[in-house]
Amino acid sequence: MLRPFAVVAALALVALAGCGGGKDGHASNPPAQPYSKRSTAPGAVARVTPADYRRPLATYKRYVGRQLGTLLGEVAVLRAAIARHDLAGARAAWLKADARYESIGAAYGAFGDLDAAVNGRPDGLPGGVRSPEFTGLHRIELALWRHRSTRDAAAPARHLARAVARLRAKVGAMTIDPLEYSLRAHEILEDAIHLQLSGQASPWSGSALVALRAEVRGTEVVLGTLRPLIVRRDVGGALPQAHRALSRLSAALARMERADGSLPRWDRLAQRNRELVDGLAAGAAEQLAYVPELIDPRPPRPAQRPFGDSG
Amino acid sequence: MKRRAFLGGAAALGAGAAIDRVIGPGGGAPAAQAAGAPAVSTAPIAFEGVHQAGILTPAPPHAIFAAFDAIAPSRAELATALEALSERARRLTRGYDALLGAPGEGPTPDSGILGPRVTPDGLTVTVAFGASLFDSRYGLAARKPRALKPMTTFADDALVAEECHGDVLLQLCANSEMTLLNALRDLMRATRGSLAPRWKVEGFLPVSKERGAPRNLLGFKDGTANPAATDGRLMDRVVWARDGEPAWAAGGTYQVVRIIRNRVEFWDRVARQEQELMIGRDKGTGAPLGRTKEGDDPGYPSDPKGDRIPMDAHIRLARPRTPETEGSRILRRGYSYSRGLDMSGQLDMGLVFCCFQADVEKQFEVVQKRLAGEPLIDYVVPTGGGYFFAPPGARDSQDWVGSGLFV
Repeated sequence: MLRPFAVVAALALVALAGCGGGKDGHASNPPAQPYSKRSTAPGAVARVTPADYRRPLATYKRYVGRQLGTLLGEVAVLRAAIARHDLAGARAAWLKADARYESIGAAYGAFGDLDAAVNGRPDGLPGGVRSPEFTGLHRIELALWRHRSTRDAAAPARHLARAVARLRAKVGAMTIDPLEYSLRAHEILEDAIHLQLSGQASPWSGSALVALRAEVRGTEVVLGTLRPLIVRRDVGGALPQAHRALSRLSAALARMERADGSLPRWDRLAQRNRELVDGLAAGAAEQLAYVPELIDPRPPRPAQRPFGDSG
Repeated sequence: MKRRAFLGGAAALGAGAAIDRVIGPGGGAPAAQAAGAPAVSTAPIAFEGVHQAGILTPAPPHAIFAAFDAIAPSRAELATALEALSERARRLTRGYDALLGAPGEGPTPDSGILGPRVTPDGLTVTVAFGASLFDSRYGLAARKPRALKPMTTFADDALVAEECHGDVLLQLCANSEMTLLNALRDLMRATRGSLAPRWKVEGFLPVSKERGAPRNLLGFKDGTANPAATDGRLMDRVVWARDGEPAWAAGGTYQVVRIIRNRVEFWDRVARQEQELMIGRDKGTGAPLGRTKEGDDPGYPSDPKGDRIPMDAHIRLARPRTPETEGSRILRRGYSYSRGLDMSGQLDMGLVFCCFQADVEKQFEVVQKRLAGEPLIDYVVPTGGGYFFAPPGARDSQDWVGSGLFV
C-alpha cells in the first residue's frame, strides 16, 4: 500500500473545516460546471464525508476482532501440529489460518508493521526467502510445502503467534482510514488477481483458490458495511452488479470444492477452469471499480481546467 | 495504485488534475505515416461488409492474434458479449474522441494510450469461432460450420496445450502496436466476465522499401505465390465458404492460425545454398531457383527431376502448380513474431502462420500433408494455434459478427 493515508486524512480535515466545496480563486478558465456539482450522485444526495464512515468502520473493526480471535486459535492448532511433527495436520491448519488472514484485507493498512510480520512475502527482501526478515505465514508455507519440514516451521510459527496476539490486542485502538477503506472494497480483489491468481503469493502451497475464496467473502463484508452509504448514490446500479459478479465467482469456486470443502491447487487446475476463475475475478474487479468513487470521503477538488464534453 | 491518491500540497493539485481529467477536444492531425511502408492506410477500413475486414484487406505492419474461451453463464450473455465486440470494433476502426474520464464517471472509460483523438490507423478487427464454441454449453451445435473441427496435430508438431485452440479468436491488425493494444484492452474490457483470455501472440511485418512479398525471419520472401486478394472470382473459389454451410455461415471463411517457431540460431549456421535448396528460392531476389525475378514461374515442367528446384523444396511441395493441386491453394496472411528466450537461451521467434480458405481439409491440410517430412522441418517447430471460422461481416450498423448464430 503506497497511498499517503496520513496526508489524505490531514487534508480532509483541513478542507472540511475551511472549504465551501470547490470554489477556487485561480481558475483562469472557469469550468463549464462547478466541480462540486459534478457529483457522483446526481440529485440531492450529499457527498460522503469521513464522519459517514464511523459506523461502517466500527462494524468492520468488530468483524476484524472476531476474525483475529479465531485466527489466534487456528495458529495455536498450527503450532500444536508442528510440535508433534504432523505435516499433514500442519498444512491443513496453515490453509485455515492463511485464509482467515485473507478475509480481513481491508485492515492491512491499519496493521502497520505487524501486517508484514504475519503476511510478509520474500519479494523485495535482500536475499529473498533466506532473509531473516522473511517470517510469518509464508515462511511457514515454505517450510511445510517446499521443505516438507515441521522443524523448520517451528520458529516462524512462534513469531506468528506473537504477532497475531499483538494484532488482536491492538485492534480496538487501530484507525482505518476512510479513503483506504473505500478503496479496499475494490482492491482486495485486485490484489487477489495480482498476487494470488498470478501464483506469486502462495507458490508452495498452491492455495490461491483458498485465499481467493476468503478474499471474496472479505470483500462482501466490506461492501455490507458500506451498503447504506452506497445505495443512496448508486444510480448506475454498481452495487448489485458487483454482488452479482462476486456471486458468480463464489459459485464457480463452490463447484470446485471437494466434499470436505478443500479446493484444488491453483497450479494444477485444468486450463479451462483456470480461465473461468481468472475471467470471473477480472469481471468482478471491473464492477467493483465503480464503488469507491461513489463514496469518496475526500472533499471535492478544485477544478484546474475545463472539461471537454467529449473527452 | 496511485490513481486516486491525493497529491500532497496545493501546487501538486494542478498536476494531478491535468493527469486525470480531460484535456479537451483537439489533438491535431495524425502523424505522417512512414513512406513506402506496405499497406499503411490512414483511411478507416470499414468494419461492416459482406465479408469481414482483415481477410482480403492488405496486411498492415502489426497484428495481434488473441484467443478466448467463453465463460458467459448463458447463451444470451454470450450473444451480448459477441455483440459488444462488434460494437466496440466499429468505434475503434472508425476513430473517435477518447473518453479519458471525468470526476464522477468512475473508472476511466478509455485506456487513453492514444491520446484524446484516436485515429483509425488501419485497424481491422476480425472475429472467428473455434469448434469448441459449438459444444453443448450454448446450444450452438446445430449451427456449427460444416467443416469446422479442432486443429489437427501433425507429425512434426510440438504443440503446447496452453496456446492452442479457443472458442473465439480475435485478429487485430493495424499500422502501429499502440493502436492494437488500445483496441485489445478495449475489446477485452467490454467482454470481461464473458470471454476469458486463453493465448495471445503479437506479430509484425517488415517495413521495408523492398518490393514484393515481405521477408520472414528465415530471411526469405514469404507469400510470393499468394493468390491475388483483388481477384474476386478467385477469392470466391479459394476463400469464401458457401457449399453445404448453414445459411448463417455463407460468406464466411475458415481461418487457420499456426504459431511456428523458427530455430533461427540453427538456421543461421546453415550455408546459403543449403537454405535456398530447402526453400526453393534465391535468398537475395526471391526468384525461384534458376529464374531471375521474384514473380517468375518456377517452371517445374522443365525440371521434372528437381535438378534446379529440388522435389522436396518448400515452395515446390506447398504448391506444385499442377492442375490437380491448384484446388488446394490458400490465402496466406501471416506475421512474424518475437517474444523472448527459451531455457537454452535461444530466441523464441518465428511465424504466426495464418491462412484463409473455403475448406480446411481440402486446402490447408492437403498442403500440410504434402509438406510432411520436408527438409525445412528441422528448422521450424509448430507450437500452437487453432482452426477457426470467421463468419460473414456485419451487414449494417445494427448487425454484429456472429448474430446469425442466435436468430
